[in-house]
Amino acid sequence: MDLLAVAWPYWHQFFFIIFATIAIGFGFGVLLSKNVVRMAFYLVLSLGSTAGLFFLAGAEFVGAMQLMIYVGGTLVLLIFGVMLTAQKDFINMDTHTQDWILATIVGGSLLMVLLFGAFGAEDWRTPQDINDAHVSATKEATPLGLALTGIRVDTLGESTDAVADGKSGYLMPFIIVSFHLLVVLIGAAYMARTKKLSHATDDKSSRAKLMLFKMEHEEEPLEEAKYVVTHKGKSALNPLDPNDEN
Amino acid sequence: MADFINNIFGIGDSWVGYLIAALIAAVLILHVVAVGALLFIWMERKISGRIQDRLGPTRVGGKYGWLQTLADGIKLIAKEDITPDLADRFLFKIAPYVGLAASYAAFIALPFADGVVAQHVNTAVFFVLAVLGLEVFSVILAGYSSGSKWSLFGAMREAAQVVSYEVPLGMCVVVPVMICGTMNLTTIGNMQAGLFTNWLVFNDPFTFLTAIIYFTCATAGVNRAPFDLAEAESELVAGFHTEYSGLRWSLFFMAEYSSMFVVSALASILFFGGSHGPIPVGQWIGETIGGTWGLSISRIIGVGNLLLKGLIGVTVMMWIRWSFPRLRIDQVMTMCLKYCVPLAALGFIGATTWQYLDLPTANSLVGNPRYEKHEMWTEGVGVTPAADAGPASGIPDPEPHSEDKTANTDSVTVKTLPVSVVKGGER
Amino acid sequence: MATSKIDDPRVIEFDVRTDEMLINMGPQHPSTHGVLRLVLRTDGEVVSDVEPHLGYLHRCAEKIGENLTARQWVPYTDRMDYLAAMNMNLGWSLVIEKLLEYDLPERGRHLRVIISEMGRIASHLVAMGTYGLDLGSFTPFLYGFREREKILNLFEEACGARLTYSYLTPGGATADLPVGWTDKCRQFLNQFKEVIPELHTLLTTNSIFVSRTAGIGVMSAKMAVDYGCTGPVLRGSGVYHDLRFHGEERYTEMYEGYVFDVICADPETGEYPESNYEFHGDSLDYPEIPRQAILGDCWHRFYVRMLEVVQSVRLIEQAIEKYEATSGDWGTPIKLVQKLPAKEAYMETEAPRGQMGFYVVGNGDSIPWRVRARSSSFCNLSVTAPLCQGILLADIPAIVGSLDVVMGEIDR
Repeated sequence: MDLLAVAWPYWHQFFFIIFATIAIGFGFGVLLSKNVVRMAFYLVLSLGSTAGLFFLAGAEFVGAMQLMIYVGGTLVLLIFGVMLTAQKDFINMDTHTQDWILATIVGGSLLMVLLFGAFGAEDWRTPQDINDAHVSATKEATPLGLALTGIRVDTLGESTDAVADGKSGYLMPFIIVSFHLLVVLIGAAYMARTKKLSHATDDKSSRAKLMLFKMEHEEEPLEEAKYVVTHKGKSALNPLDPNDEN
Repeated sequence: MADFINNIFGIGDSWVGYLIAALIAAVLILHVVAVGALLFIWMERKISGRIQDRLGPTRVGGKYGWLQTLADGIKLIAKEDITPDLADRFLFKIAPYVGLAASYAAFIALPFADGVVAQHVNTAVFFVLAVLGLEVFSVILAGYSSGSKWSLFGAMREAAQVVSYEVPLGMCVVVPVMICGTMNLTTIGNMQAGLFTNWLVFNDPFTFLTAIIYFTCATAGVNRAPFDLAEAESELVAGFHTEYSGLRWSLFFMAEYSSMFVVSALASILFFGGSHGPIPVGQWIGETIGGTWGLSISRIIGVGNLLLKGLIGVTVMMWIRWSFPRLRIDQVMTMCLKYCVPLAALGFIGATTWQYLDLPTANSLVGNPRYEKHEMWTEGVGVTPAADAGPASGIPDPEPHSEDKTANTDSVTVKTLPVSVVKGGER
Repeated sequence: MATSKIDDPRVIEFDVRTDEMLINMGPQHPSTHGVLRLVLRTDGEVVSDVEPHLGYLHRCAEKIGENLTARQWVPYTDRMDYLAAMNMNLGWSLVIEKLLEYDLPERGRHLRVIISEMGRIASHLVAMGTYGLDLGSFTPFLYGFREREKILNLFEEACGARLTYSYLTPGGATADLPVGWTDKCRQFLNQFKEVIPELHTLLTTNSIFVSRTAGIGVMSAKMAVDYGCTGPVLRGSGVYHDLRFHGEERYTEMYEGYVFDVICADPETGEYPESNYEFHGDSLDYPEIPRQAILGDCWHRFYVRMLEVVQSVRLIEQAIEKYEATSGDWGTPIKLVQKLPAKEAYMETEAPRGQMGFYVVGNGDSIPWRVRARSSSFCNLSVTAPLCQGILLADIPAIVGSLDVVMGEIDR
């Protein structure tokens, strides 16, 4: 019951158009909107449809990863930051004309580079070709995991030996990225710490002790005679007790 | 199913069949979500009433008040649509729908029985987790766009909580994935077919521990008590949905109840056998009757099984809610980082070691052989075990897949869809 | 806030400066007990200052007392601390009797003990229930109210009202207890003893409840005395003071011949004195003090109330015996228009929430010259501001709930 069957070009194109329109449209929304929080939300929708495009291409793992990491992680952080710090300056952002021009130049040149690179690739394969391959690995997690450790099992069925040989594993980038993330984590934890003195007031008991210290420190010390506990029925507040003879 | 519809109408391969199949799936899942919310709200009121030594609704729709939620829904629809002045209108209006969409989308990959799933997703576990993580947006947007400090507080706390609890949740989910060797929920469910000793929760004590930690993190992830400070009524009036009234407010609750059901169903598929009951009654009935009818009946029983297990999970969540006080946000975060994460990691290491050392499981006490994992990620000549017609050893074959249109005994697959066609009931 | 001396442990340095928020909690708010407005100054989740604003329930009761006779003012005392109305009535009755130098017959004395201790149980059940409710635990609230319903049914039989009784009046009570009332009361007590361990399990020893209340809002004994706190709030900080033992003679002789404990922990050891009253016979009677609890925190104030309920049960049992043993006048009320001598009188009683004082100045007329009520919750509430400095926002309901304030009493 596979709905997004690639054997049916109409269906495929229909959904591709929907997802692409949403992605590009909300991308433009990010550009043209004036409210920062709305910009962040449009970016959520845009990246969500990009994940949809990944699902459409059959790359379910990457699509789910896009949703989880990009949308569910990075954008949550982004919206968090935007929402908490959106003060007067950023609620209504007006972009000047010179910024538009500069952005068009930079973005446009990047777009040109990407288009040339994309269309210049020789090895365009449709999912059809993958299916026609002699042996093909499905898009499950195991081939991806194996590729990350250096073993490319998805190219076992490649017809051209040159192509099969030329693909190496992703072990090195994986290790580099892992170290990078570790450094980022340590840096974030270091930056987010609050510098406190040794008498930390985090946990409750030391907070309470601090409270007591505060009380004792500001006033004169406790007079012992006033607050003696007798438990023989006498009140501890001797001077205030009208009936007490002591 | 799309081909089935196409063949009925004699249109041949056409998009109409696919559209109808999609609509049927969507409507069925909508039923689970909406009717489920109705049922769960009624159950919550009755269960909370009984725990608190009172009755709960008793008038609407007969002695047990089971139409109470419907009456409440009608009332909420008829309420005036109020948007606060300071609210960001667009975000205010769209926030509940985002949450509901995320909750609803998680059902796409959830198998209700062997083969009864809206879309066969290979990495179903990952997909469900990813989509559930999108629910936090509705809370953040609702809290922010309501334009009041109180709602903002609630949203901040809830976002921090949900995002933090995704970490131990993911670690707990990795344990059954590791034991089964696949992320495919249908396959994980099928591996637990048969007697209940096959269930992953009885596989080793570390998986048992992991199941408990999973349930705790899932309760925290859907903002149920004792982790419900986002909706802490006595502290922030109603937290992030203070300014919502009418249908929008009820959509938040629909999203919450359907998320509760999703995580309970996910727990039951991953740990508690999924659509297979403790005693394989459905399988026996299916084999006795045989043929397509037997297949369908056993699948229906499987669907009922999963719904029942999800219901039990939701009931346990409600039970916990009405018994315990609420935790403070720093206690919630402490629990996540200091207790849940190390315990989940411990469970993972323990389960891995148990598998590696091949230590006995509950299965060995009963005498069943351990269920075998099989590699399913290749297809083609001589590489795949899918070439043989029988199931992998150790799994009692549930029912013959007569509906399988694709031949899985062909040596070279031609024009197949990029989906694994190994047994496991994916058609 | 604090000084900038680096050696001082009260100084906390932060790297990043964040903005402060001024938040208004109430007057309509589910967790402030009544119409209380708390203005909080917070930095994110940490509260730096709390300022209570009162007066939303002020009904000029004291001014009205300058236009009514002594017995006519009794309903106004009902509406002050409406959860412990019997004890308010008692305080007013005692001060008028002190002014008139009127002595109550024996049976009336025992009747008053029964009624005021039942009122104490009812009030503490509300305090316990709403405290759990503030912290998110919905069920003990209803269990407590189930028991309270039984008490209110008994009160309804005695005086006809469930909340604003006006039963104990100067001179005694408006009517004697109906026939068979004491048997029903005994039945209720026997059944109530089974419920108390349930409540302990649900709240007192529950680890989430303990982590929400232990170590929160610690008040030293000196601070409690300085701010004028009384009642369980004072005894929760380890100050041994209960007006039923240490009060005026006119009040303590009401409890003469009764055996009961004052619930107060020894400040040095932190342990509560052993009680020789076994009411249920198992270890759940007196739960262990958790490790994290510090004397003077919210948990101890809550615990004192729970144990006081047990002592009230003990008192009622003795009082019922003594009441049934005596006969005669139960204490007929004084005349409606009774001339008050040109003197003043002040009397403090141990109400469930603290020391409730009434002050009356007569001038020879039946209508007093001045009437004043010293509210126990008013002084208890004043300690909120210093207690709530530097805590998290979610601790405010915990602290205000543990002080157990009723706005009717504060605003009068």
